[in-house]
Amino acid sequence: MNIKKELIKREFAGEAILVPVGKTVYDSKGLFVLNELGNFIWDILLDVETTDDIVKRILEEYDTTEEEATKDTEEFLEKLRTLEII
Amino acid sequence: MVRKRSEEPRIVTYLHNKAGKLGLPVGATFELTSRCNFDCPMCYVHQCGKNAEARKRELTTEQWIDIARQAREKGTIFALLTGGEPFLREDFFEIYSAMKKMGFYISINSNGSLIDGEIRRKLLEDPPFRINISLYGGCAETYKNMCGTPMYEKVLENIKALKAAGVDVSLNVSITPYNKQDTEKIFNIASEIGVVAKAVSYMYPPIRINGEKFGENARLTPKEAAEYTVRWDLLRFSDEEFEMRAKSMREFADIERDECLGDISEGVGCRAGKSSLWLTWDGKMYPCGMMPKPVAYPLEVGFEKAWEYVNTEVKKIRLPSKCASCPKKNACFSCAAVCYTETGAFDRVPTYVCEQVDETISQMWDAYVSKSKKEVIE
Repeated sequence: MNIKKELIKREFAGEAILVPVGKTVYDSKGLFVLNELGNFIWDILLDVETTDDIVKRILEEYDTTEEEATKDTEEFLEKLRTLEII
Repeated sequence: MVRKRSEEPRIVTYLHNKAGKLGLPVGATFELTSRCNFDCPMCYVHQCGKNAEARKRELTTEQWIDIARQAREKGTIFALLTGGEPFLREDFFEIYSAMKKMGFYISINSNGSLIDGEIRRKLLEDPPFRINISLYGGCAETYKNMCGTPMYEKVLENIKALKAAGVDVSLNVSITPYNKQDTEKIFNIASEIGVVAKAVSYMYPPIRINGEKFGENARLTPKEAAEYTVRWDLLRFSDEEFEMRAKSMREFADIERDECLGDISEGVGCRAGKSSLWLTWDGKMYPCGMMPKPVAYPLEVGFEKAWEYVNTEVKKIRLPSKCASCPKKNACFSCAAVCYTETGAFDRVPTYVCEQVDETISQMWDAYVSKSKKEVIE
């Protein structure tokens, strides 16, 4: 998937934080905090094409159902779309 | 309209609280230079006429980038680049860009006079989250009188250009004997441009450069400092807000306070040395720029050990027990740096501040009463 904004991921005391840089600062003045699953998805985002690809990778890593993983992934991707990050 | 204050985002507060508990420096100030093209008499870092001498002792580009890398490894996210005037460093953008690539959330303090041409172009390509510009007056004459240079128009032009380009600009206003007559003008300028303006009439004694003359500065008397605090509050608050503030202060209740200030207790109440630190232009580490004790030397012992020392020593500081039990502490702005710079000791009461706070409470009330009477007559 394509990431439209310039964001650098930082880790701080168990938190994953996205810091906007470059021209992204003009429209995203704050920091973005990722939860655990968001952090996992963020790290693989550039290597995947579809929601199904992400779900497959989640199921390899986490003890969860396909239904749950699909729901969480869609919610996370929707947030990224709302923020025009993807 | 001028925005009354800039509220700290919750994530910033959360990360500082977490960092404080874990003893990690999530915030750091990088004081890149003590040099300045202005010569303001109340400054705590720039020594008038000593730019050439200071330049020789400044950290190099590589040293700053290396120290930033070490800070990043230790968890620093929030970075304030300041001076002196940071844009006087020819390598400013080398340091800035390297830190941006490392993922720092960067703000800049500047006097605003040099942010034109190539500097502005480069800054707009990769802007900071915020640029805090000191606005010292509302006309060239006041600038000449206070800063030694009549650069008012230039500064104003640069502020407007940054704001128009979409950069988050905030104004810092220091009210002193040299510019007090421009207080209302400064407020109106901020309102017209539509930027946050934060004014202070209390000036820390500049003990880093004045040979430790504790309690001295080219500043207003406590009574005058109170007067200009009240004048600023009359400008920035609505009648209802002013009334609420005057009443709260009279009852010694909690009032809106700068996020820099913590609770007044016997230990250090703010973030200095607990979740944030200050790196000076010549390579020292302090808890805060106003508080040159405890001091550590990151170039000699490394960033991590320097931070551990500062963090440990700050916890040992004891502030006056009289302040911790003072009924007026919620209306007070004293802190460890205030106690030390005013008295030379952390545990001595800074009487200048007591006087200013007493005066502010009383003048706020008088102003509220006289406003109410005027309304009744009208």
